[in-house]
Amino acid sequence: MIANDLLKGTLRTIVLKLLADNGRMYGYEITKRVEELSTGKIKLTFGALYPVLHKLEADGHITTEAEYIGKRVRKYYTLTETGRTWTEQKVDEFFDFVNTLTYVLKPTPA
Amino acid sequence: MIAATIDDNYERIKADLVSRGLTYERLIDDMLDHVCCMVEEYMDGGKDFESSYHQVLDSIGEKRLPEIQHQTLLNLDKKFQRMKNFTYIFGLSSAILTILGSFFKRMHWPGAGILITVGMVLIVLVFLPLYFISNHREQVEKKNPVYAIVGYLTIALLLAGATFKIQHWPGAGWLIYSSIGFMLIGFIPLYVVNVFQRSGKEKANLPYIVMLLVGIACVMLMGNINMSKDLLDIYVDEALANEGRIEVAQERTASLLELALDSSHMDHQATISNIHDQARDLQVMITGMQEGMIAYVDQPGASIEEVHWKDNRSAGRDAILDNGAGVAFITEAKKYAAMLDEMVKDPMANAQIEDHLEFTTLVWDFEHGRDGVRDSPLMKNYYKNTDAAKGIALAEYVAIAYLLHQ
Repeated sequence: MIANDLLKGTLRTIVLKLLADNGRMYGYEITKRVEELSTGKIKLTFGALYPVLHKLEADGHITTEAEYIGKRVRKYYTLTETGRTWTEQKVDEFFDFVNTLTYVLKPTPA
Repeated sequence: MIAATIDDNYERIKADLVSRGLTYERLIDDMLDHVCCMVEEYMDGGKDFESSYHQVLDSIGEKRLPEIQHQTLLNLDKKFQRMKNFTYIFGLSSAILTILGSFFKRMHWPGAGILITVGMVLIVLVFLPLYFISNHREQVEKKNPVYAIVGYLTIALLLAGATFKIQHWPGAGWLIYSSIGFMLIGFIPLYVVNVFQRSGKEKANLPYIVMLLVGIACVMLMGNINMSKDLLDIYVDEALANEGRIEVAQERTASLLELALDSSHMDHQATISNIHDQARDLQVMITGMQEGMIAYVDQPGASIEEVHWKDNRSAGRDAILDNGAGVAFITEAKKYAAMLDEMVKDPMANAQIEDHLEFTTLVWDFEHGRDGVRDSPLMKNYYKNTDAAKGIALAEYVAIAYLLHQ
């Protein structure tokens, strides 16, 4: 399990990247996918996911389409055009961050 | 078959979510689908709807849903997000101003007081209230605001007290003591009660407590090191009084000097003008040290009353010790005392002169900077110099008067 405080700043990037790779996804699918890709090490709970999704939608980075599954509505989330460029930017930023961290944290040769 | 079972219970699931505190329609849609997916997963594992559904409800718990909704709505609340940004910007800029002000103060550059005051005012009146308000709004289960208010008052009074102290405004002690009072009878008891009630969930507040204690320690330490405003004021008054006395003595001496020009005092004229010249040289040396100290902390030529850093501890070292002015002065002052002692034979006049020039016989700070000039605030050194100058002027008067009356 990866500690929550480490994940905190990267949740948004994870969600954006998944939508960029998979096109449209619904909430439960996203949590499952994260679990699967991280081999269970990252548990993205609905409590963390939905506030992020709603914020991204309000900021115009993603849109939703509703589909009926039986009686209930399923909301599919998709990246908008601005969301797509923003995602690239965020992912780049993240790798930059990881590289820097690796550089800072790697053991110094004896 | 499976989908039908969930659809049969659709209304019930929705009602359950609403009864657990969900009201935001768009989030209800999300959570409804999410819960149904979770139930389906359990059912795919072979369980029936009822036990799957209960398991899911248990895993969600009672308080989660209102929390998620609160967080979602805050995320969407543009006004709240703006307020948080403002809080951040104000916090940062006021901290920078305060730190910059402290740096200016350390370097004795002008404007330090304004920077520190503006920074502290921003922290106390803008940043802290915004911080406590946004913090309160982020809590789903609202904590008692009394806790935040007492915390705010404690920190606000402490910071205001520190500012007053730095600026030497009256009332600093009162502010700091009431801050400590608030902490002892308000903040700490409330904090302890809170920790026990929530069984230690309030870890995040610990840094806050530590910060507070460190702040108080700093203020108390400052109180010990810095001379109080009252004492500085006494030194100013005494120094000004001495300067007044010097003026009177010099006026009287001037009229004696006029008398000395009279031909009947022919014998003493050379001696008298010698005494007068030496006294004047010593006064010039003292004036040089006084002006040097003021120039060190303020505009050259400023009057001692206007000088802001009367408690500065480096001015004396700079203007008296480091350039040797103090040692040069005391060497000359000792010669002056020896000369007067030799000339004045009358025991009464001699005793008076010795009294006035007593500073030359003491282990005087000019030679032994440590514990004297070096560790004294500017105002104390300034006052001691006026005392020496007064002694020189009075001894001059007594000596010349004695010679004229011979």
